[in-house]
Amino acid sequence: MTNDLIFDVANVTLRFGGVTSLSGVNLQHRRGEILAVIGPNGAGKTSLFNSLTGVYSPQEGSITFNSASGASTSVIGVPPHKVARLGIGRTFQASRLFNALSTFENIKVGVEARQKTGPIGAMLTLPRTRREEQHSDEKALELLEFVGLAHRLNTPADSLPYGDRRRLEIARALGTNPEVLLLDEPAAGTNPSEKLQLAELIRKIAREKAVSVLLIEHDMRLVMSLAERLYVLNFGSVIAEGTPDEIRSNNKVIDAYLGSSDAGSALGSSDA
Amino acid sequence: MSSREPRFSLNKEDVRLGATCFAGALLLAVMTGPAGTPEQPLGAAKQAIFSSHVFGFLVFGALLASLSVFRRKVRMGEWHSRRETPRRSMRSVLGMRLATMGASWWLLAFVIAVLIALLLADYTGPYVANKFSVAQLMGQFHNTRTYGYIVFVLWIVNSWRLRFSTREHRVHLPAFVKSVWFRVVASALAGFGFALCADPWLPERFSFSYFTFSGPSTHAFLSHLPTWLWSLGGLFLGARAVLADRKTSTKTNRLRARQFGVSTNTRFALYGVALFVAFEAPKFMSPFWQLAIFQQIGIFCFLAIGLNIVVGFAGLLDLGYVAFYALGAYVCAYFSGALPIHPPFILSPFLSIPFAILVCMLSGVLLGLPTLRLRGDYLAIVTLGFGEIIYVLATNLQSVTGGANGTGIIPSFTMNVPGIHFALNGQALSGDLNFYYLLLVIMIPVLLLFTSLNNSRVGRSWAAIREDEVAAASLGISGLKYKVMAFAIGASTSGVAGVLISVKSGVLFPSNFALQVSITVLVLVIFGGMGSITGVLIGSAVIGWILQFLLFHSFIDYQDADKYMYIGAMLILAMIFRPQGLWPSKRREREFHDAEGGLGSADAMSAPSDGSAA
Ligand SMILES: Nc1ncnc2c1ncn2[C@@H]1O[C@H](COP(=O)(O)OP(=O)(O)OP(=O)(O)O)[C@@H](O)[C@H]1O
Ligand SMILES: [Mg+2]
Repeated sequence: MTNDLIFDVANVTLRFGGVTSLSGVNLQHRRGEILAVIGPNGAGKTSLFNSLTGVYSPQEGSITFNSASGASTSVIGVPPHKVARLGIGRTFQASRLFNALSTFENIKVGVEARQKTGPIGAMLTLPRTRREEQHSDEKALELLEFVGLAHRLNTPADSLPYGDRRRLEIARALGTNPEVLLLDEPAAGTNPSEKLQLAELIRKIAREKAVSVLLIEHDMRLVMSLAERLYVLNFGSVIAEGTPDEIRSNNKVIDAYLGSSDAGSALGSSDA
Repeated sequence: MSSREPRFSLNKEDVRLGATCFAGALLLAVMTGPAGTPEQPLGAAKQAIFSSHVFGFLVFGALLASLSVFRRKVRMGEWHSRRETPRRSMRSVLGMRLATMGASWWLLAFVIAVLIALLLADYTGPYVANKFSVAQLMGQFHNTRTYGYIVFVLWIVNSWRLRFSTREHRVHLPAFVKSVWFRVVASALAGFGFALCADPWLPERFSFSYFTFSGPSTHAFLSHLPTWLWSLGGLFLGARAVLADRKTSTKTNRLRARQFGVSTNTRFALYGVALFVAFEAPKFMSPFWQLAIFQQIGIFCFLAIGLNIVVGFAGLLDLGYVAFYALGAYVCAYFSGALPIHPPFILSPFLSIPFAILVCMLSGVLLGLPTLRLRGDYLAIVTLGFGEIIYVLATNLQSVTGGANGTGIIPSFTMNVPGIHFALNGQALSGDLNFYYLLLVIMIPVLLLFTSLNNSRVGRSWAAIREDEVAAASLGISGLKYKVMAFAIGASTSGVAGVLISVKSGVLFPSNFALQVSITVLVLVIFGGMGSITGVLIGSAVIGWILQFLLFHSFIDYQDADKYMYIGAMLILAMIFRPQGLWPSKRREREFHDAEGGLGSADAMSAPSDGSAA
């Protein structure tokens, strides 16, 4: 039997010395859902992502990842590369591409992270190595087309424009065949038309690839149109949870955002 | 037309590039010149510089310099008018539309080919005092090799032409030329031609008996081993080219082929040329150089290739590399029974190679597992310590290693199994060349293996870890696993080099394995270009050559002990003028530029950034 919660976060508290980044966070991510986490700067969103992916180990609470095969794994204390192999893909707030590699190679690294060829096979180019390479080539091409970067095949990652970098990072994470994709501010620094494309891409990922998406985003208009449910973090704790409409009219949320400079408009209510 | 003409202006970079090529040619000229005598060390150099020999090289240098400046200009896009792509401007610079050229083009190409072939033939021929004089050049028409070179140059010129022609104008070859059999047979014939060019037995060249099996075996072309080797090599290249062509028929492979600057076939042809030079050139060298290309150059090339995996591919700073070199050497000594402790069974040095690999790999893993979790600087210090521990153990554990007095005698390479009887010093060639050829036979497969390793999943994972370990981990790549892997592979390469050097020297002293060796090999890797196998080979060869050259001519009272001063000076010069190394890998060069632009960290020695930045 498969659990319909892909991530079950219960009472997670993460401290750095005196700073508490997350305190008693509860979050349920349903399989196949586009879920968003929003909150003012420093609220602990990235810390939550890092806890989900094994980069940080929260001191209290539990994080359970339920894979489609039915296995439940506790993520806390597991090194990041093992967490990734469970089927959790992620992107970073400041994009972290392999800059000296080409677009194509960046994706191949992602695809190949799941392959088995070892050094001996690679040196001798055994038949399996060749088959795997063929597969990763095809998969990488397919993903490049999926995110719309096929024309940038041989461009080194460091000379891509910002929007393309974002999409490449997503494609690279998709290469690992994740069940859930964690996107940390994918639209940061992109222009309005790129934002629209990105929203379309994220919907396509959830729909066509059947990947659950967990999203951090500051652009309210984007996030309200994209997410099925939202969690709002402030000072490390969840202050609200619900559908976009519920969040828009939630007083606690409005207060939290009033504390920051761009109150109402940030919630996307002024343009409605 | 005038708007198409390139503006001709040289900037500092161009001058530097041109001067480097020119100086390189001058150096080559002096180095290949006549040997010095002990009484008159500088006389030889003087003689070399004022011989006509040198002018050939100067012409060569000038050509090389102008060609590289030209290429650089076109690449940098300095040389093309607003509407033209660099490719077009290449054509306009040559002043004609190459692609549509007919007979006149071929005539020109033929003349160029003949001239170049004459120069090449004279250059690769044995040393004579009036090299590159007109008479000497014309004399080359008597050598078969000249005709080989003509064909070769024509072929290169033609591929060059095809590269710069537009797609529509591409020459359509008759169908049979594309057939598998044609290619294989043609390549075998080309190999045969190479053999003909390379055969040192000149006087008999044009006699009929030269091409038969009869007569004294040294005179008959077909009874020479190289003849068969080269022909087989050609056959292999042909088969390889056909296979490669087949492979490029899939879409992705075609896309991948574009990532390399040259086509697969060209690449393999270049490998063939390199192989040809590596096998044939040493036969024309003086005994001094025949020894040097093994002991002072070859072994260091081999060591550098191994360290390149650790430093260049995986981006780890290893200062204790010599420890594995020593381990390999002492393992060989142990199994030969040359140490105070006796092995359970005596093995010939050949058979101790697998043990050396095993021991080095294991110690690499054992050292790596705890230390590779450390960041760059700490890793450097720990490996430095490991190198010193091995050195101190070799010196002080007299009951095991023989201490500072050295080990017993290590026998030479022999093979005595049914069917194969082989003793290294029993062969026809002089003893030092034997070791060189043995090294070559070991090194070539290693080069091939490492190249495919770098182009594989493993190589890409190394690049990923080097660039951003956090991002690599987010994809499921275990940094530790790949670092230990690099460490172990590097260590076992070093171990094999250790076995070779232990047999060559016959007796081992701990002082052979001091810290300086680690540093030297590291300098070779950095000088040549981290992460590029070709670069590292070139770098090691260049540094080794310069040092031996200084020794050979005993310039300014140069002695072997002075070499670290010169190595240091060369490293400083390299860091000022070409910090990415002589021939950097594309990936590394890009990392380097990223680092200059503040985008990432190209420094193999610096710590990867940690997760908090995410
Ligand atoms: N490695 C760390 N060491 C110490 N403190 C940390 C660390 N990582 C995060 N923090 C602290 O945790 C808090 C939450 O940071 P986090 O990066 O999760 O915020 P965020 O919601 O992602 O903000 P932003 O919208 O700016 O990205 C901050 O106060 C930050 O200083
Ligand atoms: Mg953040």
